[in-house]
Amino acid sequence: MSLKWRIAIIFGLIAASFWTLFPRTVIERVKRNGEFVYDTVRRVPLKRGLDLQGGMHLALEVDESKGLVADKSKAIDNALKVVRNRIDEFGVSEPVVQKAGNDRIIVELPGIDDPRRAQDVVQKSAFLEFQITDETQALEKALPRLDALLKGKTLATADSTPGAKKDTTASSAGLQSLFTADTSKKADSAKTDSAKAAAGTVGGPGAFSKLVQQGRMPGEYYVAQTDVGTMTQYLALPEVAAAMPPGKVLRWSSDTVSLGGRIYRGLYVLDAKPIITGEYLTDAKPNTSPTEGNLVQFTMNNEGARRFRTETGRHIKDYMAIVLDQRVMGQPPIIQGAIGTNGQITMGGKDLQAAQDLALVLRAGSLPVPLKVADVRVIGASLGQDSIHKSITAGVIAIALVVFIMLFYYRFSGALAVAALVLYILYTLAALAGFQAVLTLPGLAGFVLSIGIAVDANVLIFERIREELAHGKTVRTAIDEGFRHAMSAIVDSNVSTALTAAVLYQYGTGPVRGFAVTLLAGIAASMITSIFVVRTFYMIWLNRSRDAQTSLSI
Amino acid sequence: MLRILHDTNYDFIRWWKVMAAITIAFIVLGLGSLAIKPLNLSIEFTGGTLVQLEFTQPPDVGVIRSTLDQAGIHGAEIQQFGTNREFTVRAQDPAAVAAQSKGAEGIAVTIERVLKQKFGESNLRVARTEGVGPRVGDELKRGAIIAILLSFLITLVYLSIRFEWRFATAAVIATSHDVFTTIAFLKLMHLEISLTVVAGLLTVLGYSLNDTIIIFDRVRENLRKGRKETLYETLNRSINETLPRSILTHATVLAATLSLLFFAGEVIRPFAWVMAFGIITGTFSSIYVAAPVLLWIERKWPRQTGARQTSSTATPTSRTRRSTATATR
Repeated sequence: MSLKWRIAIIFGLIAASFWTLFPRTVIERVKRNGEFVYDTVRRVPLKRGLDLQGGMHLALEVDESKGLVADKSKAIDNALKVVRNRIDEFGVSEPVVQKAGNDRIIVELPGIDDPRRAQDVVQKSAFLEFQITDETQALEKALPRLDALLKGKTLATADSTPGAKKDTTASSAGLQSLFTADTSKKADSAKTDSAKAAAGTVGGPGAFSKLVQQGRMPGEYYVAQTDVGTMTQYLALPEVAAAMPPGKVLRWSSDTVSLGGRIYRGLYVLDAKPIITGEYLTDAKPNTSPTEGNLVQFTMNNEGARRFRTETGRHIKDYMAIVLDQRVMGQPPIIQGAIGTNGQITMGGKDLQAAQDLALVLRAGSLPVPLKVADVRVIGASLGQDSIHKSITAGVIAIALVVFIMLFYYRFSGALAVAALVLYILYTLAALAGFQAVLTLPGLAGFVLSIGIAVDANVLIFERIREELAHGKTVRTAIDEGFRHAMSAIVDSNVSTALTAAVLYQYGTGPVRGFAVTLLAGIAASMITSIFVVRTFYMIWLNRSRDAQTSLSI
Repeated sequence: MLRILHDTNYDFIRWWKVMAAITIAFIVLGLGSLAIKPLNLSIEFTGGTLVQLEFTQPPDVGVIRSTLDQAGIHGAEIQQFGTNREFTVRAQDPAAVAAQSKGAEGIAVTIERVLKQKFGESNLRVARTEGVGPRVGDELKRGAIIAILLSFLITLVYLSIRFEWRFATAAVIATSHDVFTTIAFLKLMHLEISLTVVAGLLTVLGYSLNDTIIIFDRVRENLRKGRKETLYETLNRSINETLPRSILTHATVLAATLSLLFFAGEVIRPFAWVMAFGIITGTFSSIYVAAPVLLWIERKWPRQTGARQTSSTATPTSRTRRSTATATR
């Protein structure tokens, strides 16, 4: 390969690395006005693990202390939807909720460091209700009253309150109170909390009505995602709760819709009394019918069928919201006729996945499976920050020492190796960012360690060159031979380390996986820099003077 | 040109019996003391609860203990963690683990609550908690053992392909020696064995293997040159020839390891200790385990390489005998 090409490749890799590491705009869940929303932020695209940014890791298992569960895998599938739903209430950026193995759910909540909240995720059992959406325009009628009430009322907005932490608890308590209305005592204390936190903007004329827009069906309203926080706080006010139309409840939708480029969350006005609850449901499964498209079929037990038949008979042509843990799941379907033991919900053109999800929701309500926390790790944000600082200190000192050793022992050639080491660090970080690897504390330690190990290949090569020079070879031949002879040792040792790292990746969890990924990225980068880059440096040096170099500083 | 230990001609392998005695003594001492007290396994493996606390003032450890006792958390291990304002509380006795099976978060919450009552809400902060159910611990333990064994197997296959089975076996035996010495070291230093330490152990194995491979690579090359010398001499020559590289690489890796040990903080320290020890045991086993084992295998199952083969198999025996004599003298 010609020298020109080599230099082009090196610069190409440098450019690619900078491009990968350059702070970019990404869409993330971030906190805006006390509510977590998807928004754009600019940052260096290196993901930090929970142990570095602080947060909570949970592993949930089926609790069999109150009786055996026959099909754990299915039970976990059901529970997954419920857990996801509740995690959404936490309002955490980038939460992870996934099934691990057959019988476990892994939950990762960055930024949450209160272990007590873990209990909220698991200790409530899912509560499924079918509620009829309001047909009487009750909210419209109440709007003037609500606007008048809020006029002159002061209210906290998230970013104007000093002490972000206090604010978080206040607004999340507000959320809680809205969605767990049946525990009236708790709701009351939460309301006073957010009332106490109230200080800031003044609700102007039409404060309430300007936030809501009529939706596509009776009782459906849209609130812009940016206003959800404010609305939540309004709803938490005792006066507002008192002024709500009697016999009706307000429930948020679990999904958001995009209308004209803006994100809206659905807000439903529902009859407070559910026509039926999930306890009467015995099964639900997704299906596809040639005429009606994707649908979900469900089965009621005898008592449920009797009640359901009466209730649905009374509400033909009304919309029925499926409410799981106080959140409306999907679009409420219209009731076509009285439904007894077997019913079905057509998905209206939505895909099979949506049908599967809905079936899961229905089953979750009918088969509440008790969960317990099998594993919890909580790392405070400051501890994570501290770990990063310390790792950087250790890294800088390690680099300084390695640079000193290489320059002291190998002089000019050592300087080439140091230049390659700089590229090694750049390439490794870029590879980690490029593969969206998660940086963990052991990963950082592994990276620091790898700086010491990365020069090994160069040491092997330099020692070989020295031997060749000692045999009386010319500089050019010695360099060629040195690289050629060192190659087998470098390849064999790196490949066997890479295989070990791959095993670690396969069998490790969380932080250890981060370590394995760093190790792998480091091995790849060190092979490129110590062999290809340093070789190119030598070639440039040999080319610079037309008359062949007679001595090499090594 | 600065040179360290250049063109040396030490008879390293001659001392293998002394070295074997030392390392066996170390392993026996370390593993033997397991009979008195078991390994210091982290709660990741045993199950239990760990709470790391940051106090605003240095607290009285006795008060922490009595407060926890009153709350019904008996036998918790309270340890200083870095500064005298930071402590870890570990509840991992069987009773605590059994209570855990109801749900792993309970004990941590209790510990935080009673200590905050005692010391005041604002005087301490929980920096980190871990609660692991017993089943998770068993799974992690199994995972760690599988990872180590699997990495051995893969190494054996790879080296068998790249070298041949005699070299591969010697390298793997040298590496397993490092597992035992490192466990003995962890035991004697009473270091806590966490998942990170297991990752450190695997790194040590990789590093030690590297070292063995570098020497064996030289042996492979020297054998191809077909000098008139025994395998014993070839091994010694190869070790001597790779000596400057070993010194330099150990120096840079040690520099990185010591930076981690002194500057990277308390969480990483056990990992750094393992790595620091690993540099020593890795170097040791590459010379004093891998080489003698290779000689022994060669004597039992000689390579079929024609005429040279007879001399290279016959001599190690006599050499070994001679080195025994030297060692005991």
